[in-house]
Formats: sequence, structure tokens, C-alpha cells
Amino acid sequence: MGKWIIVCLFFCQLGYAQRPAPDLSNQVQPAVWNITMVMLHDVVNPPAAARYYAYCTAAAYEIVAQHNSSMPQTAGFIKSYPVITISGAKDDYNYEAAAVYAILEAGRLMLPSGFMLEAQQAKLLNTFKKEKLSQKIIDHSVAVAKEVVPQIINWSKKDHYNQLSARVRYTPKKGDEYWYPTPPAYIEAVEPHWKTIRPMVIDTCNAFAPAPPVPFSKDSGSAFYNLSKEVYEAGIHPKQEELVIAAFWDCNPFAVSTAGHMAVGFKKITPGGHWMNIAGIAAKKAKLDFDRTLLLHTITAVTEMDAFISCWDEKYRSNRIRPETYINRYIDVNWKPLLQTPPFPEYTSGHSVMSTATAQVLTYLMGDQFSFTDNSEEMFEIRARSFTSFMQAAAEAAISRLYGGIHFRDSIENGATQGKNIGDNIIEKLKAAGVQPVHS
Amino acid sequence: MQYSTLLFFLLCPLFVKAQQPLFELLPPKTTNIRFSNDINETEHLNVLAYEYFYNGGGIAVGDINNDGLDDLFFTANMGPNKLYLNQGNLKFKDITRDAAKELEGRSGAWKTGVTMADVNGDGLLDIYVCYSGKTTFEQRRNQLFINQGNLKFKESAKEYGLDDPGYSTTAVFFDYDNDGDLDMFLLNHNVIKIDNMELAKRRGETDSLAGNKLYENKDNHFTDVSKKAGIIQNPLTFGLGVAVADINQDGWPDVYVTNDYNEPDHLYINNQDGTFREDTQNCFRHLSQFSMGVDIADYNNDGLPDVMTLDMLPEDNRRQKLLQLQENYESFELMLSQGLYKQYMRNMLQLNNGDGTFSEIGQLAGVSNTDWSWCPLLADLDNDGYKDLFITNGYLRDYTNKDFLRYWGDYKVKKAVDREPVMLMDLVTAMPSTTLMNYVFRNEHDLTFSNKQKDWGFTKTGISSAAVYADLDNDGDLDLVINNINEPAAVYKNLSREQNKGNYLGIKLQAKTGNTAAIGAKVTVYANGGLQYEEVNPSRGYLSALPASLHFGLGSAQQADSVRITWPDHTTQLLTNVAANQQLAVAYAGITAPVLQKDPSAKTLFSRTKGIIGYKHEDDQVNDFKRQPLMLFMYSSAGPVLAKGDVNNDGREDLYISSDKNQPGRLFVQQPGGAYSISTESVLDAEDGPVTADALFFDANGDGFNDLYLAKGGYALFDPHTPALQDVLYLNDGKGKLVLSKDALPDVSANSKSCVRACDFDNDGDMDLFIGGRVIPGQYPAPPASWLLVNDGKGKFTAATAPFANIGMVTDAQWTDVNKDGRKDLLLCGEFMPVTLFLNTATGFTDKTSDYFEQMPKGCWFSMALADVDGDGQEDIIAGNLGLNTQVHTSEKEPAELYYADFDGNGSIDPFFNCYIKGVSYPFVSRDELNDQIYPMRRKFSSYKNYADATMKEIFSADELSKAGKLTLTDCRTQCFLRKNGKFAAAPLPLQAQFSIVTKIMTGDFDHDGKTDLLLLGNHSDNRLKIGSMDASYGCLLQGDGKGQFKYMQPAVSGLSVAGDVKSATEITIKADKYMAIGVNNVGVLLYKEQ
Repeated sequence: MGKWIIVCLFFCQLGYAQRPAPDLSNQVQPAVWNITMVMLHDVVNPPAAARYYAYCTAAAYEIVAQHNSSMPQTAGFIKSYPVITISGAKDDYNYEAAAVYAILEAGRLMLPSGFMLEAQQAKLLNTFKKEKLSQKIIDHSVAVAKEVVPQIINWSKKDHYNQLSARVRYTPKKGDEYWYPTPPAYIEAVEPHWKTIRPMVIDTCNAFAPAPPVPFSKDSGSAFYNLSKEVYEAGIHPKQEELVIAAFWDCNPFAVSTAGHMAVGFKKITPGGHWMNIAGIAAKKAKLDFDRTLLLHTITAVTEMDAFISCWDEKYRSNRIRPETYINRYIDVNWKPLLQTPPFPEYTSGHSVMSTATAQVLTYLMGDQFSFTDNSEEMFEIRARSFTSFMQAAAEAAISRLYGGIHFRDSIENGATQGKNIGDNIIEKLKAAGVQPVHS
Repeated sequence: MQYSTLLFFLLCPLFVKAQQPLFELLPPKTTNIRFSNDINETEHLNVLAYEYFYNGGGIAVGDINNDGLDDLFFTANMGPNKLYLNQGNLKFKDITRDAAKELEGRSGAWKTGVTMADVNGDGLLDIYVCYSGKTTFEQRRNQLFINQGNLKFKESAKEYGLDDPGYSTTAVFFDYDNDGDLDMFLLNHNVIKIDNMELAKRRGETDSLAGNKLYENKDNHFTDVSKKAGIIQNPLTFGLGVAVADINQDGWPDVYVTNDYNEPDHLYINNQDGTFREDTQNCFRHLSQFSMGVDIADYNNDGLPDVMTLDMLPEDNRRQKLLQLQENYESFELMLSQGLYKQYMRNMLQLNNGDGTFSEIGQLAGVSNTDWSWCPLLADLDNDGYKDLFITNGYLRDYTNKDFLRYWGDYKVKKAVDREPVMLMDLVTAMPSTTLMNYVFRNEHDLTFSNKQKDWGFTKTGISSAAVYADLDNDGDLDLVINNINEPAAVYKNLSREQNKGNYLGIKLQAKTGNTAAIGAKVTVYANGGLQYEEVNPSRGYLSALPASLHFGLGSAQQADSVRITWPDHTTQLLTNVAANQQLAVAYAGITAPVLQKDPSAKTLFSRTKGIIGYKHEDDQVNDFKRQPLMLFMYSSAGPVLAKGDVNNDGREDLYISSDKNQPGRLFVQQPGGAYSISTESVLDAEDGPVTADALFFDANGDGFNDLYLAKGGYALFDPHTPALQDVLYLNDGKGKLVLSKDALPDVSANSKSCVRACDFDNDGDMDLFIGGRVIPGQYPAPPASWLLVNDGKGKFTAATAPFANIGMVTDAQWTDVNKDGRKDLLLCGEFMPVTLFLNTATGFTDKTSDYFEQMPKGCWFSMALADVDGDGQEDIIAGNLGLNTQVHTSEKEPAELYYADFDGNGSIDPFFNCYIKGVSYPFVSRDELNDQIYPMRRKFSSYKNYADATMKEIFSADELSKAGKLTLTDCRTQCFLRKNGKFAAAPLPLQAQFSIVTKIMTGDFDHDGKTDLLLLGNHSDNRLKIGSMDASYGCLLQGDGKGQFKYMQPAVSGLSVAGDVKSATEITIKADKYMAIGVNNVGVLLYKEQ
């Protein structure tokens, strides 16, 4: 990637007598990806990952918005957004460099293994040099990032995340119908109090509560038994395409595989990380300029964060049993889902809620016929898939959970509706804030 | 270097001699034992393909040519087995190929344990080799090598019916049906672990390859009788250890089988009719979880076999932090609900109480943490008359390393980025490999062991598997042989005789036919005023078979006064005045000598009676650690609470028993005939929810009738300053009905309480109250409020200011006039505090603890009683503490410390308990627990390795620590404080008093000898999983000598068998008889009639 940029710049320089400001739009996706890699290492859970993406991109976008007054102001669509001050004069720094650097800087300061981003920051500084930015400009840009990011982090500290560890830990509810930790590691419930996190755009965690799930029943012939049977059947007679789809959208940050005393963790990027990368792919394909590229990333991240808050609110309201537990208890003790059951209640499907909400917002920004090829999972030896629209991708992500044996159909369908409602609400607020589609 | 060493040896020969360890490791070139169990890991053959890849090889020892010298057979997992003929003087000769080529084992197969036994009863030892591994049936068939008598062996497994193709670990030959021939128990294991914990469904299944088997010998042909005999054969079987012993001393061999992973260990008690019954949960309170080897032997010389099982808890902090499993309460609850019982990851030493119960005291004995351990051997290594303990350990790769768990994911990602294929061997070799020293412990004769790794010469590190002891050079001490992975087998010569450590007696039993080695026979040696007990059961430890001859160290005794032999057919033989230092061969004589009969008329001091009070207790199961994960114990379980008092003034003692999840608190009224009836009039603490922590009958309003005070406690379900935590007072209507008195009490709902103690402290003629504060729900360990409630004479109380209002987490209190000034003083005890004395003066209460106690340690005091135990007419103090049977070790010099503060400013108290491990104070909290408690720590400790050596200084700044609260613990022993010369002086109690938490102390002359005895009751099962259930006490009765000293009374004498957590006790009189009523959590009220 680096080499390619240099070559490209070389040709660019030949074409222009006077050197233009370098276009760093193609640095946004790599910066976000670097953050994804650290989260992969740290095994950050899906809701927390979305939160990190939101703050890291918001820090960067703030620099853009302050530089380019024609871009929508962050406070216009993010509630509780603070006043961020940049003391440097606009001419003293390159705002694109400052913004890209801010993504890494926020990740460095927020993520558990944030120190791993120091190497990426050093590389980025080299890139700036190769882009012929003067040392003074680079220094000032870094200074701006380092001025903005702590302000964003201060703001993040008021979102109640730090209070989560002070809350009573989750005790699985007693009763056959409720979620209980699942094999093989029986990991405790992930983020049972996530609904207490301050949302970015939506008003409350429960504004988009889905319809109630199909009621639990052990009776064969009941609606719930049939839902389970559908998952069970899909698991024992999978179609090749279904296997591919389930694996493509697995997005489990930590699947534990055991052999006796030995356990190894298989890591993947989270659903949020996957959609951040889709935003990057789309921005690149549409050749969005730097400002719009960052706007697209920021809004994607913010939508993800709110979608998880809404979804997690419902998960710990219904506390519904996972297919694996139900099937093992009432249908077949030997049945295992294709994907490892994630460690939190079933209803609604997080991937369905989050993918649909994000796709809805991306559709508003990029259009409803935006085709793209998603290669986000290639590093996990999963081939790229092509989609004709964001909504098509979201629908596939949603149904993949049934193929994977980890969600019931009503959880997927009602989850998608929940996601759509969240997306619509966010679009409404974006419009009010003057956020226009960035691609037609 | 060599010269200087030489010089050193030349100059200080005396010094060197004094330093010579008890054992000397002999090099292969002197023993000629070059056997090495070499493990070759390849891309296709490694631990990922077969998870028992590093479990090691076996050893059998026995005299195959009857020349009086024990020979050795080693199994190698992958390489050739070896048979070594003992040529004397610890020289051996490899005769494997000459004896039978097949003895080397099938190539390409996976060999495991080995046993030597005279299978066909011809007087010659045969060899049985086990196979496992993910190979074919044929490759896995076990082999039986029949001794042809000329140092030749013939493989005859099929002929004998013993060519079992299962996944075998090892085999035991013993005579389970006492019919005079040897039968076989085959220990097997599965090769696929089932992770899904819906295991109840699996436990009924039979897996013929993984399940254990019992084979009955009929005329030298063996048939599988497992089903009929009641052997559990489910696919959860991961048998790693088996030992046979007559556990219940009924003359029939019982079998203990260990299980790795979820399936609990099984104790099969012989029904004497060819069948067994699984009796684990009646005998043991908890088990090792990943149980490996097992030995059964009487280590405290009381004539009862004790059980030692091994697990994998590391001794040092670093490896604990790197390897220890995460506490998972949901998994644990699932285990319990699936009938898998309480299992914890550490070695368990189960002390036989002789009444069908065992007290697990591995931690008190100092042998609970020996890392990834395989083979325990209890044997008298220094000939002092007590069995010592040798433990092999080591695992080729630390694949439970928690950083490694995450490594695989990163490795795959890296390979994908680099576009390189994933190699399993990369993963295998990435697993850290740590070699460790084997452990050896000397028996200190007082139920404990001391580590002698260095003193006895076991400093070499390695990966060890099976081990055997035998007197290989016939010099009167036991040598040790160890099978190692990727290293020659070790032969340790015992130098006890050379160092004049003690005398010995070797005994070899011989029968003419069938069971020629008299397997199952028992020998008791009486010498030096004590006894030693051994059984002839050679297959013990791990993958190992020991000699059938017995070895007794005699210490300074020149003779055994008598030797009693009980042969397998129950005939006995008594030898008297047997000279020491000989190998005594005793032939079966078929005679029966008189046996000392137990006096059947001997009554125990307490006898359990049933039917008088029908009360079963069932608690709400709540997990306090969901609220504060870093506490050590749960506080919710407080019941059942008992209080006695005559409610209707009919001269009979009535009883209050507190509520539980199913019933309100009730008054049990004693009827004229001695029966109890539940009062329908007085329904007490009926409000759903609140937990009664203590109850007291006293006359609050001076009307001559008993009123009832209920102090409220609990933890998980309650918030400070809510009605659930407000105490209540019931006033007696003068007819025996208790009526709630509103407004009688001030607000005492600030926290949970522990005790209520009445006393007219101000000498105004009415009863005032001390109310002890236990814990603030959600704010452990911040000091809760305690109260002094002053009575206005009419039963209305007001809170008075007192210096002990925030003294700490109070558990118990007693009023007594210590300085004889006519005013009752207050003694308090609690967690992380001293027993504290407040003198009641005319101007108020003042803390005079240091004036009255020479040394008052800070303890985890849970109970206190006052009694004159030394007959000087003054009250002494008996204070119940945490005990010594835990992972928490404390002293004045190395105190346990509890720091607490809201370190991350998020509104919750973060408590961090620390205690010393090998000279350094380390936090008890794991990395994951710390990171979940204080999120910013995730940045500081991003890996387990980063955290492994961290102390509080690395975790917090000096400033943070100085601002934090700090509590300390300097002594965990339950103790007696005797009043002497105006002060109280600590007096130790027998070690049995330290087996468990003491939560209730009863005093009285229980044996009617005119001297005060003590009854210590306790246990505490709901603790952090890392602490585990503290349950080794069944009621510890201590006989007083009237001078302040006490002697432990065996259950056979006391008659007590109180299993479970005692929450209350009171002595009541029913008709003319005295009873001890004991409230046991989740059980009910047990009544023991006193003699």
C-alpha cells in the first residue's frame, strides 16, 4: 500500500508544477483498520468495539468540521457533543494529517493495547514526510490531534462506561426460557449493563424496543419449538452457500476451541469492525474526498454504537435462551451450532440490528444501488463477496445467524426491523443537522 | 573450577557430610538404566491430535526371578519398553529382548501404564502393559506377559481374556470378591472431551472403550463383570489414577478412581457380594477437579487409610497467575446441578475420620499446591515411623498458559497477513515448556508435612510421570525410581540407613496358591507406643506398580512389639517382639489370632436423634460475588438461626428457628411430653425477603416474659438503609404470643448485622443491647456500624454513642466483667480485627485491648465464647478463626493485607486482598478480575505475563495506596486466651481445631470429667472458587484437661458428624435430657443428645 502511494504521488508531481495539498483520504481506512487490529488482539467485545470506533472517528471528524465549515458540525447530530477547542491557526497545520493522526491517537489512548498503535503512528509520520509535508506542518498537525483527542476522551468519560464495573454483575435468570452461558467456555454475559451507556444520536436505549419474541415453550409443535427445529435442521443439512454466508458474517471476536486442557481462541473482527471496513471500501470505490470519507466513517461508527445500545437493552430485557441450549436440552444433546454461540442472550440478533441500521444510514449517504465487493474477511481465509446494495449485505448478515445456528428467525427479522427503525431515526436527525448524501 | 571444587571437598569433608541430602541421584552409567521416555512431536502426531500426549510412561517394580532383588519395568509411550534385572548394588541389566521381544511393545502404538502381578498364581510375577492412543483396536490391545520362570515371558493376553482394546491408563490386580485369585480393574479414559455441560444426559451412557472395567478371574480366564458390579462406564471417564484399599475397614477391598475434567472421582465401596456402590458424596465434601494420580495410605498412624489425590495448582504466584483457571460461577453451578459435585483445582488430602467421613486437609498439611502433578507416593522415606510424601510433576508444555489461549488467534492472523500456511507445530512449539522439581515432603507427625526438596536432594528439574519406591539394594530404606519424559529415568538411592536415620522392618507376605502375594492383606506394626498400618495393594500412584512387600520405618525402636497380619481371607496372625532391621517373610498359616474387639457398649458422647424437631432449611441461592467480585466469602447465608427461651413461662425451653426461602421464622414450643409444636400464633419475620442473622430471647420490658429480638443480616439482596435491614423486636403478650413492637428500636438499617447481645451495662435494672455490624452490602470491607442500644426500662431503645460504632466487620461479642468493677465490659471480634476489649467505665467505654492481651493478633474471627477452662475461677476466651486449611497464610511478619478504596472513582469500592507466597505479598486478584474491576488496568496489564509478578506497588501508585483503607490479618488460628495474672495469654489448640472456619463455639463438660470441654462448629462453603468450600470440620470436640490444654476426640468417641455450614447452635433441655441443637445451612436443625 505504502509503495503504491509513493508511486502514485510521483506521477502526480510530474503532472503539476505547483504541489497541491496531499490527499490523505486513502489513509482513513488504514488508520481505522489499525485500530481494528488492536481490538482483535485485545479481544474487544462487539458493543465496546463500536464505542471505540465512534470516539476515534468523532475525534478525527471534529478536526475536519472545524476546518471546513461547509461540512456538518458534529454537535448537529451527536447529542451531548462538547465544545472542542483547537488553539492552532488553520494555516499552521494540515487538517487531514491531524485528523488521520487523531484516529490513531484516540485508539492509542483508549484501547487496552493502544501502545501497539505507536508503531502505526510512526509509520504515518513517515507517510506525511513522503507526502512532502514539512516537519513544522507535521508537528503542528500532530499537536492538533493531541489537543483534540484528550477533549474527546474527557467527553467519552461521561458516557457511563467506567461505571459498568461498579454495577452488579449479571446472574443468569432462573427458568428454562432464559439464557445461560454456553459451551465450550461458558463465558459470562458480555456487557449486561450496556443500555446504561449514553447513546450518540438516538434519544434513549429503549426507543426502538422490538416486538416481543415468540414465547418459550418446550412443547413440540409449539411456535418456539418450530423456530428451534428450523435452526436445528439448518445445522444438520446445511447448503454450501449457507455455510459460506454463515462463515462470512461470523464476526465472533473470540471463539474458544478446546481439546482437553488445551484451549485456543480463534479471533475475528467484530460486526462493527466489519461494517467500518465496508464504509472504507465504499468510500474508496466512490472516490469520496477526505472530508466525506471521514464523515462516512464517523456516521457509520456512531450508528453502530447506538444500534448496539438499543440491541443490548433488549437482550437483557428478554434474556432469551440460545438455540444451542434449547436444542441440546429438548431436541438433540449432540447438536452443535456451526458458529460458536456468542456469550450473551439471544434476542434480538445483534448482527441483524447493527447491520440493518448501518446499511440504512449508508444507503442514505451513498444511495440504494451502491454495489461493492466486501473483502473484509479475506485475512481469515474467507473469500470476498459482492453485493448490489448495503441493504442486501445487511439482509445476508442477518440471516447468516440462522445458518450459523446461533439465532432464531424471529430474532433476526425483528432485529432487522429494530435496526431499520434506528437507522430511520438517525437519518432524520442527520437531515436535521444538514448532513446530505455524500454520493449520488 | 574443577580444582576449586576438589579443594573444597578436600578441605571440608565434615561439612560436606552434614550437608549430604537424604537421596542421591545415581547416573545412568552406574545403574545401567538408560531408559528414557522420548516424545517426538510431529505435524501429525502431537498434543493437538491426542490430548494425553504428555501424560508419560509407567513403571512396575517386582522380583521377577525370586532372587530377593526387585526388578524394574518401564513403559515408553512411543519408544521401546525396558525390563531391567536387578543385579544388586543398584546395578541393572537390560534383559528386555531376551525375556520376550514383544515386551518392547508394539511399534507405532501408544503405551501407558504397567503392572506386575502373579496373575496366574504360579508364584512368578507376570507383567501387564496397557495401551491407549488414537490408533486402531489392534494397536491398542493390552498385553499380558506370563512369566515362564526362566527370565522368559510369553504374551498371553488373549488367552486370559485380558486383551482389552479400550483407551487404557493402567490396571490393578486385586481380589475384589475374596475368592482367593486376582481379578482386575482396568482404568480407562476417553480421548475426546465433551465440552457441553448438559452432562447429566451423558452420565447414563456406556462407552466400552473409555469406561473403566472390572474383570473377574475364573480359573485364569477373565470376564468383564463391570455392569453387574456397578462400575460407572460413561464417556466422561478420564481415569488417571486408581488405588485399592479397605477404606471402611470392613475386610473387603474398596476402589478409588480419579477422573480428569468434569466427571468426579469415584469411591467404590465393596458391597461384599461381588458389587460395588459409588459412595463419593457421602464420604468426601469436595474433590480434586482435574484429578491425576492417587495414593491411599494411613499417614497419621491411626490405623485408617487416608486418600491423596493430585491436581495441578502451582505453588508459586507467577505460575498461578499465568495458568490458573478463571473463576466461573455459572460453570460451577452447572457442575453442581449436573451431579458433578464440588471439585476444585488442587491436591486433596482426605483424612479418614473412621466414621465414613473424610476431612480434606491438604492445605493445612501443606501439600495442596504442587503444580501439574502426577504420582503421589506415601511411604516412610526417612525411616522415622511416619509416611512421607513424594510427588512427581511436570508437563512438557504449559498449554493452559492463558496468554497462549490468545496467541493462536494472533498467530493465525499474522500468518494470513504474511500469506503463509498455518503449521500445527508452530503452535505446539509456541507453548511454553517449564521444567519443575519433583516434590518431596517429610511427615512432621502432626498431620502436616514440610517441604524437603532441597534437604533430601530433589533439586533436579524435569518432566516426570510415574514413580515407584522399593528397597532396590535391600539396605533397609526405600529408593525411588522415576520415569521422565525426554530424559533418562531417575534412580534415587536412599541414604537413610547410611545416615543412621532409623531402624526398619520389611515384611513380605507369601501364600502358596492363587493370590500368592496376599494382595489385600493388612499389616499393623506396633512399636514405640504407636502403630503403623499398611495394606498390600501394590498398584497405586500413577501408571505405577509398587512391590508387594511392605516397609515400615521404626525410628529408634529396636523391635516391633507386635505385628498383626490380617490375611485376605480375614484370618489373622500375631507376631510379637519382632526384631528391627530385617526383611521378614511371613507365610500364610491360616490361623486366627484373637483380635481386639471394639467394645460395642461404648457409647459416644453425643448421639444423633431424629424426629424431635422437624425442620429442613433451604436458602435462597444468591451469589454475593456478583455484587462485589473481589470479596473472599459470601455473606448472604446466615440461617438457620436458633434462639432458645421459655416463651410461656411453663419451665420448658422453647426454640425460635429463623425463616428460609420456603417458610417464615417460627416458634417451636416444647410440650409437656418433650415434643415440639409450632406456634400458630407467633409467625415471625414473615415478611418475604429479609434475612435473620441472629436472634435473642430476653425480657425487654421487664414484665417477666421473654421477648424476641431479631437482628437482620444478609448481603446480596439488600441495600443499606432499607427496611429489609431494620431489626425487629417482638414483645411477649404474657401468654406466650410474640407481637411485633413498632417503634421500639431506632434506625439500625445502615448495614447487615451479625449478633445481638443483651446486658444491663449501665446497671439501671433493664437489659440493654449490643448490636454487631457485619458488612455494608455493596461496600465490603468498609467498616459497618455497630450499635449500643439503651433500654428505657419499658422496652424502647435508643442508640447511644460508643467508641465501637465503626470498629469493623464484627462477627461476635460477649459481655463480661473483666476488671471486676461491677460493670460488664464488652469483648468484640470480627474479620480483619483483633479480639477487642472495651472496658465499661463510669465515663464510657474505652479500648483496653493492649492492656489485657500480651499479644492480640488480627484474625478473621468468626465466633467467641467465654468459659473457665483452666479451673481458676476466671473466664477465659475461646475465639474461632479462619483456621489453617486455606490458601491464606499469615503471620505477624507476613500478614495478609486488604487494601480498599474506590481507586477508579466510579462509585464502587475496590477491595484487593494480598497474602504472602514465598516471601512476597501478592494480590489474590487475577489479571482478568482486576481488569474487570478497574477498566484502566487493561492498559497496564495487557497480558497475563505483564501481570504475573505484579504486587500492589506495580498496580497502584504510592499515593493511591496511602489514601486507601488497609486491613490486616496476622493469625488465622482458632485460639484460647487464658486469663492469667490479670491478662489474657494465647494458648494453642490441637491442630484439628484449625481444619476449618469456626463459626460457633460451645463449652461444657461434655464427657463429665469435671473439666470444661470445647465443641468447635463451623465450615463455610460459599466462598470464592479459588478458596473453595471450607468443610473439613464435622464438629471438633476438644477434651479439656482442666489446665487450659485440650485433646482432640475422634468421631468414634464424640459421635459427631456435622457435615455442612454451621450457622447456629444452642444447648437445650428437653424433659430432663440435654441436647445440642445445631443449625446447618441448607440442611436444617440437627439434634444431638448428650451423654
